[in-house]
Amino acid sequence: MSDGSEILLSIRDLRVEFATEQGVVRAVDGVSFDVHAGETVGLVGESGCGKTVTGLSILRLVPCPPGRIAAGQIEFRGQDLLQLDTRQMRDIRGSRISMIFQEPMTALNPVFTIGNQMVDVLRDHEKMTRRQARTAAIEMLDKVGIPDPAVRIDEYPHQLSGGMRQRVMIAMALSCGPELLIADEPTTALDVTTQAQVLDQIVSLQEEFQMAVILITHDLGVVAEVCSRAIVMYCGSVVENGSIEPLFEQPRHPYTAGLLNSIPRIRDDRLGKLPVIEGMVPDLLQLPAGCRFADRCGRAGAICIESRPQLNDGAGGQTAVACFNPIDVQQ
Amino acid sequence: MEILQYSVRKLIAGIPLVLGVTFISFLLMVYFGPDKTYELLGKNPTPEQIEEVRRELGYDQPFLTRYALYVQEIATLNFGSSESSGELVSSLLARTIPVSIALITPGFVLGNLLGVLFALIAAYHRGSWADKFIMGASAVGMSISFLIAIIAFQIIFSSNFGLGLFPVRGWNVHSFGDYLSYVTVPTLATVFVALGYNTRFYRAVIVEEMTRDHVRTAKAFGTPPARLFYKNILKNSMIPIITRVVFSIPFVVISGSLLIESYFGIPGVGKVTFDAITSGDQPVLKAVVGLTAALFVLAQLLTDILYRAVDPRVSLT
Repeated sequence: MSDGSEILLSIRDLRVEFATEQGVVRAVDGVSFDVHAGETVGLVGESGCGKTVTGLSILRLVPCPPGRIAAGQIEFRGQDLLQLDTRQMRDIRGSRISMIFQEPMTALNPVFTIGNQMVDVLRDHEKMTRRQARTAAIEMLDKVGIPDPAVRIDEYPHQLSGGMRQRVMIAMALSCGPELLIADEPTTALDVTTQAQVLDQIVSLQEEFQMAVILITHDLGVVAEVCSRAIVMYCGSVVENGSIEPLFEQPRHPYTAGLLNSIPRIRDDRLGKLPVIEGMVPDLLQLPAGCRFADRCGRAGAICIESRPQLNDGAGGQTAVACFNPIDVQQ
Repeated sequence: MEILQYSVRKLIAGIPLVLGVTFISFLLMVYFGPDKTYELLGKNPTPEQIEEVRRELGYDQPFLTRYALYVQEIATLNFGSSESSGELVSSLLARTIPVSIALITPGFVLGNLLGVLFALIAAYHRGSWADKFIMGASAVGMSISFLIAIIAFQIIFSSNFGLGLFPVRGWNVHSFGDYLSYVTVPTLATVFVALGYNTRFYRAVIVEEMTRDHVRTAKAFGTPPARLFYKNILKNSMIPIITRVVFSIPFVVISGSLLIESYFGIPGVGKVTFDAITSGDQPVLKAVVGLTAALFVLAQLLTDILYRAVDPRVSLT
């Protein structure tokens, strides 16, 4: 837990819109949360819930057009990133805030060696000669567990496996000692053993570098393993935000509870039919006026159809929840 | 070493291509091309005279024998003399190919450079008015016939109705100033016609590269725009660009620009080829066809080697 430690990143009422053929879609609608220095936060939700767009917004990488950050503030150490000019933003990217992506196969430039790309990043942000940058890059590759880093550095991305490439991405992302790492499904494209290794790597490096991590994932198991706090998103907004233990043991939002219920448990006596959340995610073009989860929710009442619940403060060791009728915490 | 081995292999593999192209072209030339016999004879020739001219032209030989002779000519690069002017084909080509190259190069280079430039502006401002304007203008440019463009440019720049700045026809080049005055209007016409297609082609290539994951990664690491363009976008677009540019070289060098040369009365290889086709001047045609095929093989080799140079994933095996 990082209670009391200083707030590193504070997102307030973020709204991101995409212009589509059918009309304007709000992929992120009024998202607010804080990230404290040094903590690991999981940003969880199903595909299309806006978690990746939220991550991209922090570095202002939402593709524009068609995307647009329509409203909100993203304060990083008290400075609103949305007010910076492109030059100032470039200085922050890869240096104070880094991001790694889902697809290690395509995320690196195929026509330059990994060394060349790492040296560029280092020299963009630190005063280094080419030789110093190369030494630093080799050191970083060694840290992320690449064997023979002095040889590997001169290889091209296509000569490395997926897991290796993701390690290179991590090495590149951490090379300038960022305060915040945004990891967008860093292990989704990897096989299970590699996933575990890459996750361990992120966790151990996080301790070494004392940075905060926002881990964007749909995998609740991963969140339970590495995060101290989780933010659950549904349909463009945050539905629950809290520390791992209460969130996993006593989820208060019906959606979180539904998600947790639908994780298969191998140790159960027999594998029955997996519980599912009934219904479909609403169309982002035709969002209901009330709670977006209302038509799938067993606890929905009249008020849930009429107005949107706001995220509460979550006082007293409970999770913060955006629900008119949250599940009661059993004492 | 790798490149040398590859080149030798590729050149040997190119021989069937050259043979195929020349065989088909020669077949068409012999059975469907004009017959030169009666052009060379006077009025009322005797059967003996006809016989003799046909023997001189080699028309009396069986087709395969004539084709074998042709292959031998290609191998030795000795195509004999033109049947129209009597000039040696080699000296004819040596005289006209440089003219064609000098004529077409500025337009070729400018057409591609400007194409990339406009494509960049359009691609970087996708969906904006600048993009729409450039794409609209290139569609208009593509739709205007080359002939109309040539005539329009001649009227605008070379006639008394227009600016009257440049000569309408001819190629009387003795200095760089002469060169500029003769090459400007053809160049403008070529660029005008090529630009629309080039811009659309390059825009598609650049837009495709701009939306790649590695471009987003580079942005996420604070890469300055100039390097993002050079290292991520341009370097990765080189394969389609090289393909397009290098494969146009054989046309540019050998066939020249047939329309340009005939409309501007420029004695380049395109005009020579055109005259040879209409008059059935087989030695010249044989040389042009053979050289074009050979240049294609070379262009193919060159593209492969350049691919290797820009993309480490390509291996020459």
